[in-house]
Amino acid sequence: MNTQIEEALKSLQSGNRQDAERALETLQGVVYGFGMKVCGSHEDAQDTAQETLIRLARQLREFPDARALSVWLYKVAKAQCLMSRRKSKFAPAQMLSLDDLMPKESDLSPAGTKSWQVTPEETVLRLELRSRLEDAILALPKHYRLVLILRDMEQLDTREVAEVMGISEETTKKRLQRARVFVRNALAGYARHLSERKSKSHA
Amino acid sequence: MPERRCKHIFAMLSDYLNAELPVKNCREVEHHLKGCEPCIAYLESLKNTVEACRRYQMRKIPAPSKKVREALLLALR
Repeated sequence: MNTQIEEALKSLQSGNRQDAERALETLQGVVYGFGMKVCGSHEDAQDTAQETLIRLARQLREFPDARALSVWLYKVAKAQCLMSRRKSKFAPAQMLSLDDLMPKESDLSPAGTKSWQVTPEETVLRLELRSRLEDAILALPKHYRLVLILRDMEQLDTREVAEVMGISEETTKKRLQRARVFVRNALAGYARHLSERKSKSHA
Repeated sequence: MPERRCKHIFAMLSDYLNAELPVKNCREVEHHLKGCEPCIAYLESLKNTVEACRRYQMRKIPAPSKKVREALLLALR
């Protein structure tokens, strides 16, 4: 579960206005961030945050614990993201086949697989990696994208992701696996490019 | 990843990273990884991908709208 949500619920339940304001900022960050990752558009992410948090205000007293709130919040935000597609980039719904995603032997050189381990000092590389990662995630078909974002970026567990998505845990795992491989393959292309660039600069 | 055995292992690596693989399959993966360079390299790159996702942080978060703030404060009264 997203631990920020746990903290926010405690603050909301405290009855203190300042704590509630802080909780609101936190929840805005969680829902807006989720909306940006899913939609790739500031306007859609802002709409998602506004609609989700207004609905939350109406139902605030109905959450027995942070887990229930977390699942509810992502479920509503997900539905909102899928509706508000003003500028969102959604790849056409398609199935990703594991056979098609299987890497070739040439993709598996140590240089090609380790180059995106970027140290905190390598700011430019970090920004490039970030941009490649965003592009790869936005290129994923939406049902795979949502599972990857919920599991690997929002750090929900498999059961929570399955609940948010309304699918079985087995299907969640399969979608996650394909989504990870898809993103991995996109980043491997970047790693190869980086490796070539490094060898040219040393030549 | 041309070997049939590798394809079989490849299908289990994501669950392996999540520690969600049954013990028997986990042992199978670990046994295979001891002798297969391409699968070791692949697992490493998959791990790096998951790590990049986990470390990803939003740069700018706009403040909640006035409408949201009012709705929430009203609900807390």
